[in-house]
Amino acid sequence: MIEVDRLIKQYKVHRREAGLGATLRSLVRRRYETVTAVDDLSFAIGPGERVGFLGPNGAGKTTTLKILSGLLWPTAGAVRVGGHIPQRREVEFLKSITLVMGQKQQLLWDLPPVETFALNRAIYDLPKASFEQTVAELVDLLGLAGLVNRPTRQLSLGERMKCELVAALLHRPRVLFLDEPTIGLDVSMQVTIREFIRTYNERFGATVLLTSHYMDDVVALCPRVIVIDKGRLTYEGDLRELVHRVRPHKQVVIKLARPVAREQLAAIGQVAAHADGQATLQIPQQTLNAAVSRALSELPVVDLSVEDPPIEDVMRELFAHPTQRPPS
Amino acid sequence: MNRLYTIVRAYPTLLRIGLAEAIAYRAEFIVWMLTTTLPLIMLVVFAAAAREAPIGRFGQADFAAYYLATLIVRQMTGAWVVWELTMEIRQGTLPLKLLRPLHPLIAYSAENLAAIPMRAAIAVPIAVVMLIFTGRAHFTHDPLQLFTFLVALCGAWLLQFAFMSIIGTLGMYIESALAVFDLWMGLFAVLSGYLVPLELFPHWVQKVANVLPFRYMLGFPVELLTGGLTRGGALRQLGLQWAWAGAALLGARALWRAGTRRYEAYGG
Amino acid sequence: MLRYARLLGVEMRVSLALAAQYRADFVLEGVMSLFWLGWNIVPLMVVFGVRPTIAGWSFNEALIVMGWFTILRSLLEAAINPSLLAVVEHIRKGTLDFVLLKPADAQFLVSTVRFELWPLLGVAGGAVLIGDAFVRLGQAPQALHVAVAAALLLLAALVLYSVWILVISAAFWVVRLDNLAYLFNAIFDAARWPSSVFRGFLRVVFTFVIPLAMMTTYPAEALLGRLRLQAALGAGLGALVFASLARLTWRRAIAHYTSASS
Repeated sequence: MIEVDRLIKQYKVHRREAGLGATLRSLVRRRYETVTAVDDLSFAIGPGERVGFLGPNGAGKTTTLKILSGLLWPTAGAVRVGGHIPQRREVEFLKSITLVMGQKQQLLWDLPPVETFALNRAIYDLPKASFEQTVAELVDLLGLAGLVNRPTRQLSLGERMKCELVAALLHRPRVLFLDEPTIGLDVSMQVTIREFIRTYNERFGATVLLTSHYMDDVVALCPRVIVIDKGRLTYEGDLRELVHRVRPHKQVVIKLARPVAREQLAAIGQVAAHADGQATLQIPQQTLNAAVSRALSELPVVDLSVEDPPIEDVMRELFAHPTQRPPS
Repeated sequence: MNRLYTIVRAYPTLLRIGLAEAIAYRAEFIVWMLTTTLPLIMLVVFAAAAREAPIGRFGQADFAAYYLATLIVRQMTGAWVVWELTMEIRQGTLPLKLLRPLHPLIAYSAENLAAIPMRAAIAVPIAVVMLIFTGRAHFTHDPLQLFTFLVALCGAWLLQFAFMSIIGTLGMYIESALAVFDLWMGLFAVLSGYLVPLELFPHWVQKVANVLPFRYMLGFPVELLTGGLTRGGALRQLGLQWAWAGAALLGARALWRAGTRRYEAYGG
Repeated sequence: MLRYARLLGVEMRVSLALAAQYRADFVLEGVMSLFWLGWNIVPLMVVFGVRPTIAGWSFNEALIVMGWFTILRSLLEAAINPSLLAVVEHIRKGTLDFVLLKPADAQFLVSTVRFELWPLLGVAGGAVLIGDAFVRLGQAPQALHVAVAAALLLLAALVLYSVWILVISAAFWVVRLDNLAYLFNAIFDAARWPSSVFRGFLRVVFTFVIPLAMMTTYPAEALLGRLRLQAALGAGLGALVFASLARLTWRRAIAHYTSASS
């Protein structure tokens, strides 16, 4: 469905320093420098897949999404979405995709969302019957009954985001580009939106490409991830695999009956946290069984659990040491 | 006293930043300056009208002197604080400014003043052109009048700024402060001598214009520059101008106070 | 084509709904429109109050020019300014992307975003001025002349629109350009006077570079039966060239926005 082959995107930005002298000089002459936002990126996504795009700020995720949706032209490389070349912005292509940007909205501010829906219907040329059916389905799925007739500015942020999703999906696109759709929302709203995206993907078989800062979004929705850092692909594949690769450890959380000296804990495994009643150890996968047995026999254990390391930690480490993690 | 001290300390920095902003947004700036086209258009029209014979005491050269003086005075006294205020009020960023220990209007005044060097940079060449084309005869040579002109220019700026602040502050009460601004500019164009020299209006219009503040924002300095006033008359009108300025500033301050209270009560 | 017509209908309805949202503003704008209709005649009355003829035009004849000016400016404020100002806002907020993602021509979408209702009063007002002038002149324009004048009006609207598109295209490079609307209005203000008032260099500028002459003076001359055929044809040709130039520039601007040229 989506094919990206050796994509490169570079910008020219002009450098402006602070201070009055530099400002006056910039009146006459400007200095430009080239910034590489996307560097030799290649990947492929099949129809109906849900893929997460991960990376620190400025990694090139939004730029890639914009190129895939035809808003930006690549500097070099080939891009294909559903067989179309995005930058040509053919009508058929535009009708088959949608881009939702978490921080920007397309809803008309002073009017109710239904007006935006009507406008989009005219723009996408949707027949009345199927349009009304789609609206009814989406409103039902998102629990928006009664809200879509209130002026947008009177809705809460979460309600607005839900209406934004309806407006974006009216034309039943086959490809969904979601750029930080849950940003700024409270936890329960995030869950609702995630569930909706999953349901939509399963019911209509739409391909979903999602970027998010919230690991929970990616963990819940995306079996497959693509990690980008400084415009380059650093990992592509299963999320669990990634976690294992970066932190091939498990976290063993032990609740202790009485305080235990740090040295005793360190003998079993690397100490990640140590308090009187509880300790967390990092144990490599291979030696996990042996370490757990040792802990149970040597320590006053009340309770013991084995967990995966927090994904945030994994990500932080991945982006802190990019050169140590070769791509799959 | 503490408040005054803050202002005195902060003002030079505000001026410098204002200047940097003016230079950073130079394209927009030049465009603003170019919007002052009305004097030039009216000059052409009246020059055409006066082709055969002078109108009143105005021959073609007199019109040229008058309208070029108008252009200069307008450039040097224009204030755009209305736009800034309405933007801030609408976008809800005003509360941030209110938290600072410096009165926002004072901050705006610094921004406006800081732009004057750039405006002067354009106005001075125009003045030179003026002198070359119309000859020195149409401008006052009296040094006292010239000095009074400079004082009147400051007064005009102050008066303009005060009234613009009042209109901008109205944005805290009503949605369409900009409509009021348009209305104001319409009245200003006619009753200040911007559109037409006030002398050429029928007497009753002149009487009305003398009672309103518009004249002191433009017509009065222009008349000083083109030598249309006696010494005594000039000083008397200068007094009136500064009286208007004082009243307007007090009005602006009062309206602002009441406005912010209301604005904060309604949460913007 | 039909699809675009339907889309235009929806956009207009949305603008009306928006205007109806703020009712107090709606009424205020109506009142102000009436006020401005009257106030705009003051300069004309003042100037012609001191001289009966200026540059070969009498008061009544100049009133016709003023009438066309009012009509054109009303069209500008009703149909052209609101949308294009909205574009500048979009560029600033970064929501222009949504426009470019839609499967419809971006220029069309951008030009039909908003309409204002009250300025249409000015169209009626301008027609009244023209009618009044002819009553005073004691004559009526011939049917052919009216047709030519109407055609010129449409061409003038096209030129105005094209100028605006050029201005908006510039906004892609220099973002803060909302005051260009004011510059444009300030220059356009010169069109309320018969173009023969301008001599020499200015005359050339206002006939060919910023064709104000053709927008108001030519239709007036057409109604008075004084317009030369070459001038009318020249105006027509010029308008079409201008419109094509604007379209090309718009596309260049969009291409630049999507960094085709980097």
